[in-house]
Amino acid sequence: MRMLVVEDDRLLADGLVTVLSRAGHAVDHAATGKYADSLLARTAYDLLVLDVGLPDIDGFEVLRRLRLRRSPMCVLVLTARDAVDDRVHGLDLGADDYLTKPFSVTEFEARIRALLRRNLPLEMTLSIAGLSIDQSAKRVRVHDKPVDLTPREWALLELFVTRPGRVLSKEQIAESLFNVDGELSPNAIEVHVSRLRAKIEPAGVRIRTVRGFGYLWEGTDG
Amino acid sequence: MDDRGSPPTSIRRRLLVFLSGALLLMILGASSVTYLVALRAANDAYDRSLLDPALDIADNIRVDATGARVDLPQKALEVLVYDHLDTVIFQVRSDRNQIIDGDAQLPAPPAMAPGEHRFFDRIHRGERLRLAAYRADNGYVVQVGETLNKRDRLVREILLAELVPMFLIAAVTIGLAWWGVARGLRPLAQMRNELLGRSPRDLRPIPETASPIEISPVVGAFNSLLQQLHESSTMQQRFLANAAHQLRTPLAGLQMHLELMLRQELSADVRSEVARMHGATIRASRLATQLLALAKAESVPDHGKPLQIVDLVAVAGNAARDWSALAIERKIDLGFALAPARTWGDPLLLPELLDNLIDNALRYTAAGGTVTVGTGIRDGMSYLCVEDTGPGIAAEEREKVFERFYRVPGTEGDSSGLGLAIVKEIVDRHGGAVSVGTRDGGGGTRICASFPSA
Repeated sequence: MRMLVVEDDRLLADGLVTVLSRAGHAVDHAATGKYADSLLARTAYDLLVLDVGLPDIDGFEVLRRLRLRRSPMCVLVLTARDAVDDRVHGLDLGADDYLTKPFSVTEFEARIRALLRRNLPLEMTLSIAGLSIDQSAKRVRVHDKPVDLTPREWALLELFVTRPGRVLSKEQIAESLFNVDGELSPNAIEVHVSRLRAKIEPAGVRIRTVRGFGYLWEGTDG
Repeated sequence: MDDRGSPPTSIRRRLLVFLSGALLLMILGASSVTYLVALRAANDAYDRSLLDPALDIADNIRVDATGARVDLPQKALEVLVYDHLDTVIFQVRSDRNQIIDGDAQLPAPPAMAPGEHRFFDRIHRGERLRLAAYRADNGYVVQVGETLNKRDRLVREILLAELVPMFLIAAVTIGLAWWGVARGLRPLAQMRNELLGRSPRDLRPIPETASPIEISPVVGAFNSLLQQLHESSTMQQRFLANAAHQLRTPLAGLQMHLELMLRQELSADVRSEVARMHGATIRASRLATQLLALAKAESVPDHGKPLQIVDLVAVAGNAARDWSALAIERKIDLGFALAPARTWGDPLLLPELLDNLIDNALRYTAAGGTVTVGTGIRDGMSYLCVEDTGPGIAAEEREKVFERFYRVPGTEGDSSGLGLAIVKEIVDRHGGAVSVGTRDGGGGTRICASFPSA
């Protein structure tokens, strides 16, 4: 995948480039907003890692110009300000995700993977530990053995794998699964989750319960 | 200011001193005129009755071979010169200036033509006298004089009749002025109360429309000062935001490189050194975040009423997303017991408060322990509680834990001692209360922040 890291801090930029390169991506680096903007205008990257605080034009402006060109590029915004409105601002302008500095390498990698997965073509097959997911055929295999999932379990699985490391509340799950057929009660969600667990956890993935709130997918993927 | 040393002036006192002085002068002037007028009126009234006996006596002077004498019985003479208030004396002088009758000591009157009479004042035997003198056609001169008692009394009465209402008017005027000034200055008092009632962070301008035009320049000047203060506080906040960026970005870079190093093959001692540096970097980041949060809590302008309705359940939900992974990593069961609760609050500071409570709880709870975040409404207050199965906080430490950089003696961990100070600061900003206790059934720690429900 082709990626662009826009970060003016030399040390952090080097780290980000190293992490992404080691994951096998082709990575460019821009230290200023203007240079980033010119690179983005002529290159179709798969993913953009964008710092908000840049010396010339700020990250939000780079993002705004990118979206003005109707680019569907995946954007992960890095912000050092701990103001929630910065995050919201970023997402309003069309950022796909944000990370507040400082963050761990593991967290960064997980977010990148999630963003890439979100944009994967549907026919792609995902492998997470002993679990392989064929999104087009809606088929799941655990250690190469096919496992049958109900439509709701499939919808749940899709929800979890596109948001690794993110906690999903029962309300969020109910909303997301509403489209399949009808509304789900919190109890029904628990039942579906425990059935899904029984089917896929032998593959070495885990769905953690966040007591009184929801679930956290702990996929040791990548 | 250049009025150092001089006592503070009071508008009211200055106005009253001026007004009283002016009124006193006016009363003095008026009473002098009144005195002269009254004196003249008294003389006009009594001089006639002084001249009458003089004329009677002159009519009764008999001149024959034995000489001149006043041909009146002693009794009649006494009646003529009797007065119930004043001492009356008389004197008769011949045309050759010989004293014929009456008081011999009385000096001669001013020269007069025959048939003429005069009134004049004179001091005689130490007493002020009013005299009437008449020179008869035969050259004999009769003087009748009396003391001034009844004249003085009349003048006094006239003066009194004039002055009493005048003093009453002056008193009423001064009273009205006193009251009027107080009334006129009421907007100032209101302004003072408004300002005294404000929190130090409330830099809103004072409404100029409510103040009278005499005060509005002062209000205007004051508002421009408030505006400057507000601007400098805004600048300070911008500085803090920039400082956050400047501090965190290099720390993020450092953390990332240390983590990348830890992924490489390292000898055991190098690995432990790098791990320590990594830990220190994370602590430095956290400390920077906390210092900034504290500064931010202090610098956010306080408008008396916080900004908007904040759903505490949503705040807890965001915390679930932010903290669950760390809790799992530390093998702590982080759970939630969320009932609807809302308050008027700052949408940035309340999450900061909860973050610090959870951070603290996770820090002091051992693997296998439990941390529970609760929200709800109790006794009309919305609460946000975090309880853990950690070692707990001794009763005598519970006040001190909210002090900045205070750490409970004997506790391990890498806490900065700022977390609960931030909690306290934010709770104070929201007019809330924070309490430290133990979990239901004892043991562990429960810290609850409660706010007026919205």
